[in-house]
Amino acid sequence: MALCKRRRLSDAFSSRPQKPNKRTFLSSSHPLAIKPLGNYYFESTNPAFKGSCRTSGLGFIAALSDELILDVIERFLEPRDLCRLAETSRVLYVFAHHDDLWRTWTVNEFRGNFTWSGTWRATYLKTNNPSYEIQENDTPVQVSDFYSDTLYQPFYCASASMEPFMGVENVERRSNLSMAEFVTDYAIPNKPVIITDIVTQWPAFGKWNDTYFLERYGDVRFRAEVVDIELRNYYRYAHNQRDESPLYLFDKKFVRDCPDIADDFEVPEYFREDYFSVLGNERPDYRWLIVGPARSGSTFHKDPNSTSAWNAVITGSKKWIMYPPDTVPPGVFTSEGSWRAAALTMSILTRQHVHPPLTWLNLLLDESEVTSPVSLMEWHLNFYKKIHQIQPRPIEAICRAGEVMFVPNGWWHMVVNLEDSIAITQNYVGAHNLLNVLRFLRDKPNQVSGVSDTDGFYIKFREAFQKAYPGFLERIEKEETEKRLTTWERLKDGGSRFSFGFVSDDE
Amino acid sequence: MSVRKIKLTSSEGTEFVVDADVANQSVIMRNMLENCEAHDAVIPLPDVTTPILAKVIEYCTHHRTGAPIPTDDANSVPKKTDNIGKWDTEFCQMDQETLFDLILAADHLDIKPLLDLACATVANMIHNKSPEEIRQTFNILNDFSLAEISKDNERMEQK
Repeated sequence: MALCKRRRLSDAFSSRPQKPNKRTFLSSSHPLAIKPLGNYYFESTNPAFKGSCRTSGLGFIAALSDELILDVIERFLEPRDLCRLAETSRVLYVFAHHDDLWRTWTVNEFRGNFTWSGTWRATYLKTNNPSYEIQENDTPVQVSDFYSDTLYQPFYCASASMEPFMGVENVERRSNLSMAEFVTDYAIPNKPVIITDIVTQWPAFGKWNDTYFLERYGDVRFRAEVVDIELRNYYRYAHNQRDESPLYLFDKKFVRDCPDIADDFEVPEYFREDYFSVLGNERPDYRWLIVGPARSGSTFHKDPNSTSAWNAVITGSKKWIMYPPDTVPPGVFTSEGSWRAAALTMSILTRQHVHPPLTWLNLLLDESEVTSPVSLMEWHLNFYKKIHQIQPRPIEAICRAGEVMFVPNGWWHMVVNLEDSIAITQNYVGAHNLLNVLRFLRDKPNQVSGVSDTDGFYIKFREAFQKAYPGFLERIEKEETEKRLTTWERLKDGGSRFSFGFVSDDE
Repeated sequence: MSVRKIKLTSSEGTEFVVDADVANQSVIMRNMLENCEAHDAVIPLPDVTTPILAKVIEYCTHHRTGAPIPTDDANSVPKKTDNIGKWDTEFCQMDQETLFDLILAADHLDIKPLLDLACATVANMIHNKSPEEIRQTFNILNDFSLAEISKDNERMEQK
């Protein structure tokens, strides 16, 4: 999976005070009683308002934004420093309890060997010193005169419901689908579909669940983002956490590490073309076991190397939002510099009442690095409503237990687990996307992933493929050229206007 | 071939002329300049005051032939704060208000080495200090109530 850089939205464009935001008024309360920024403006109209403890509690540090303060703490301080900071003032006490910080430290220092204790902070302290006692029933210090979107947001995102975002499903569902129909209706037009009668035939269906996995594979180490963790320990965490973006188990070695697991499923017939297999052990990563609680998932991305994919839900359910290859989803910015450059340029030029030059828009079209909001819930809260403003509308679907989603190559997709879920996903290269894959490997070697030698990969794959399927490549490349020539001939003769994407209008 | 010159203007309108390789240490400015062919490019910086901009330029000028700007780590590891060079240490001798304004400017302009340096300087003012020492350094008010302090102490003693 392509790694997606994540940025908090609250400080995206400036550190000036935001306008009061109705959405951030909430009656459910944060464990430390802090409130979002919107409440500050509302409460300040009350004559009894006592103000915020931020300035006096931070001293000179108050000049920095909350996000910068968190950045300094996370990157330059140690847990011991933070515990001391917690004793200096009430607002620093709040910073010291920001669980995201402790998650980073726990994961960096203890990898997958932590003793989960309900929060990342308690987990770090307990793992670091086993005699540390967790005060479960103690109310922490209440700091109701501190207002911060940065520190409030994770709590809100972790508690918010997905209910308002369950839009109408508009994906096609098929059963009794023949190979020929799949190719004509979905593979060639590059269109998503949910197939409903495959996974239900697998031994895994009805058998796999958390209890079974715990019994059978509890001691196996799986990959969860940046750590390798025993499944038993992962479940202890997953079943007792309130994270905004829970740690997600996404393992590519499960067939090797779990005895007999391969007997419980099989690759659906539509997806058995697997041209990367010509590379044997040097093939890119291609199949993953995915286990995760509600709220875990993946923010918008395209699958690596221009491959297509299928994602089968064995237990649980997943919400999908998918955009076709040429439509960048709302809230997604591509290329590192362009995010900030765009923001700075916009803020400067709009102040001077000048229309921003189109040149900076071109920065956004390079997809080598994708920037997207920090969490799935944050995306939904800020960008889901924009779905109606962009054409075309995305595919929205809830893939349920027993169903498999076909993800055509190049499509943007975002997936959220709506409940505890177990799924298998595989990426593949078939006849319908072989040329796209070759073009991608040739033209974008810096975006190739899942292999150690990315520069030489195009040649390596091409040669291995030609050895295994002599003459095949020449034939389909010739067909493709002929198709383009035919199109060009038709256009030259003044035929109807239509575009394959590489014929540009004169604008 | 003459070096390309860039004009930077502060919030007060003061103009600074710098060479392109000085300005290019700011990722923001580098991206803007890559898309602008003009030989007399002007970049207005309305969020940076004159004294802070001067400090930024001083840093970037000294570091103009330095190593390429490092990319972000995928995992943030606590950064070392004990290997700051002599020039950098002296450069950071300034009052706190300026230091924090410098952090804001380096963040705003995306000059990572400067941001890291200024943040490391602040971190060094916190490392191994007691809560009271930290309060005095940064002029922080101890606003815990008595009840809150005793609750806190119980927890903290266990570390």
